[in-house]
Amino acid sequence: MKQIIAILREEQVENTKQVLIAIGVMGVTFLYVTGRGQQKGRVSARELGESLNRNMRMQIVNAPFCNDSPDAVTEMTGSLAHPDTEIAFGFLPKRMLTIVAYDEDVNGIVQAIVNANQTGRHGDGRIFICPMISAIRVRTGEQGDKALS
Amino acid sequence: MIWAIIRPESAQRVIKALDNAGIGGITRLHVTGHGREMGITLGAVHYMEIPKEMLMIMVPDNDVAKTVMIIRTEAKTGSKTKPGEGTIGDGKIFVTYVEDTFAIRTAGKPGGN
Repeated sequence: MKQIIAILREEQVENTKQVLIAIGVMGVTFLYVTGRGQQKGRVSARELGESLNRNMRMQIVNAPFCNDSPDAVTEMTGSLAHPDTEIAFGFLPKRMLTIVAYDEDVNGIVQAIVNANQTGRHGDGRIFICPMISAIRVRTGEQGDKALS
Repeated sequence: MIWAIIRPESAQRVIKALDNAGIGGITRLHVTGHGREMGITLGAVHYMEIPKEMLMIMVPDNDVAKTVMIIRTEAKTGSKTKPGEGTIGDGKIFVTYVEDTFAIRTAGKPGGN
């Protein structure tokens, strides 16, 4: 039994849900998190603009203007000379997904998540595979592999 | 993989220290919970759910000790009665392992982690 932890872009969540249902994974938990990776939360102005156009919830933590309205962000990105200029936001809003699955299903699930989320830009996310020792279904008290089926 | 539950007010300090040490990926969760003390009583009100910040930090095996030490030093708040000791509620650090890692962007193994 393995636990799959994936960090995803917020806008890819609906897509990911559909893909997981398509391969028969029903038990999924999503969490709202903020995070950053090796880029230290840098986002290109172009990408930020796209996000704002989609009315993405930009809950920007640690930014000097974090208490300002999104308008302030738009103003700032609009004034930048080049769309590839990167702005460091620190922690960016992401979604965390956790799935507990049988060992033999892990590869398929990882492939599905990668296919659904890959854009080729920084910030696509990571997938971590961790061991899970047991699972218990609260309703019936079933333990181990039976609790997953 | 390191999970650390710390005070929300120490989070900023811990993150800054990890940053200075060059420790890469951090994911941050807002959680509530209580420990052995079963919450806190302030006046007549008993609080069972105390807001905490949970950090999920991915580091290579040989950086684990360093990371834990940084969190320990930065998240520890001073005790009024016993100098040098922390305060109840400073948090806990859990260290576990990850069997496999994939970067979605490249669909492969990320470098360095």
